Amino acid sequence: MSLKYGVMGLLAEESLHGYEVKNRFEAMLGGTWEVNIGQIYTTLQRLERDGLVRPAGPRGDRGKLLYELSPEGQKALKQWLAQPDSGPQQLHEDIYVKLLLATRIANGDLDGILARQKRTYLQRLRDLNRLEERARRDGRIDLARLVRGALLHTEADLKWIDELSSERFGAERASTK
Amino acid sequence: MSELVRLTEVTKVYQGGITGALNGVSVAVEKGEFAAIMGPSGSGKSTMLNLVAGLDRPSSGTVTVGGTDLGKLGEAGLARFRRDHIGFVFQFFYLLPNLTALENILIPAQLKGNVVPGRARELLEQLAIKEVADRYPALLSGGQQQRVAIARALINNPTLLLADEPTGALDTHTGDQVMELLGELHRHGQTILLVTHDAKLATRHAARVISVMDGKIVDDARLESPDRTASEVIRVRGEEVSR
Repeated sequence: MSLKYGVMGLLAEESLHGYEVKNRFEAMLGGTWEVNIGQIYTTLQRLERDGLVRPAGPRGDRGKLLYELSPEGQKALKQWLAQPDSGPQQLHEDIYVKLLLATRIANGDLDGILARQKRTYLQRLRDLNRLEERARRDGRIDLARLVRGALLHTEADLKWIDELSSERFGAERASTK
Repeated sequence: MSELVRLTEVTKVYQGGITGALNGVSVAVEKGEFAAIMGPSGSGKSTMLNLVAGLDRPSSGTVTVGGTDLGKLGEAGLARFRRDHIGFVFQFFYLLPNLTALENILIPAQLKGNVVPGRARELLEQLAIKEVADRYPALLSGGQQQRVAIARALINNPTLLLADEPTGALDTHTGDQVMELLGELHRHGQTILLVTHDAKLATRHAARVISVMDGKIVDDARLESPDRTASEVIRVRGEEVSR
């Protein structure tokens, strides 16, 4: 996920100071991505070096600098938006490695891992449901869509755990016959 | 909270196949709970609901609802129990086609010897289907039919509302509305047992998820409902700042 294009996208709306970029960026993502101001300034400096953003005027009050998107920046942003997300699928969570190891290590407690993970996913679904509801209530349809994406991902994770449990259950039944 | 439902070592054997059978299930549900029963098809989740409703009898073990051991009731007693204490909502509504919405809703009350059109109209209003009172089921949308079915289930103020895949025949949006309605009833104190395979819907309203597999309860999760901030639940991950 790219902070660079997030910053450029916000500057496409209007010229902003570094702090405004940080605040708007975090508000846009509803707090799901926190950035520190240092990251924002570094990003702005690199974008300026590459000619994608430029100062919108001289330094103002307390040395604050207003940035705007350059024509090159607008072009680059448009290209990025039009490009579909490709590349390998990202699996970030440890559970994938835990499952692989649990089947290799004696007493890896695969059933326990599956059961605990299932509860975690159920709780996450509940939390996400409440978050989606809140976003809709607050009129943040964009954020509700993001939460919905997370919800559907979690549902898939849960289905996967159920499938593995059901497989285990079948194997257990077959071995006791 | 006090206990409303208790299954003790309940086994259900079906002749000629194991689909839907139960194998030594023990579980209790408190008054005021909204619990979801989840599991793959044929796992026995609907069987559990039918036993609690008194629509079926266990092969062994006991089912107690509101202190009544259903095994001790004869057929007439069981029918009375169902009429007085259970509201049942099904996937395919099961409305009588030759009766209007209002007449359908009134059936359980009439069986009880009560004529309560006022209560029926109150329910129609509460479920936002007042305008369909005099229409026949064939002229109603799926969502409206399910609302009528819910009103019918509620007409005798049941102790327990049972719902078997109530959104299974509805589109996502209408299904959400029906679940919202069940959530609302629960907030007003209705005890609800819901069978579903939709974990998203289940966890939105039910704070308890009972997982059934192969006729056994394999998990019984009680979920928390704290107001978590977005960053506690989701983290959109960024790359390191590019060079």
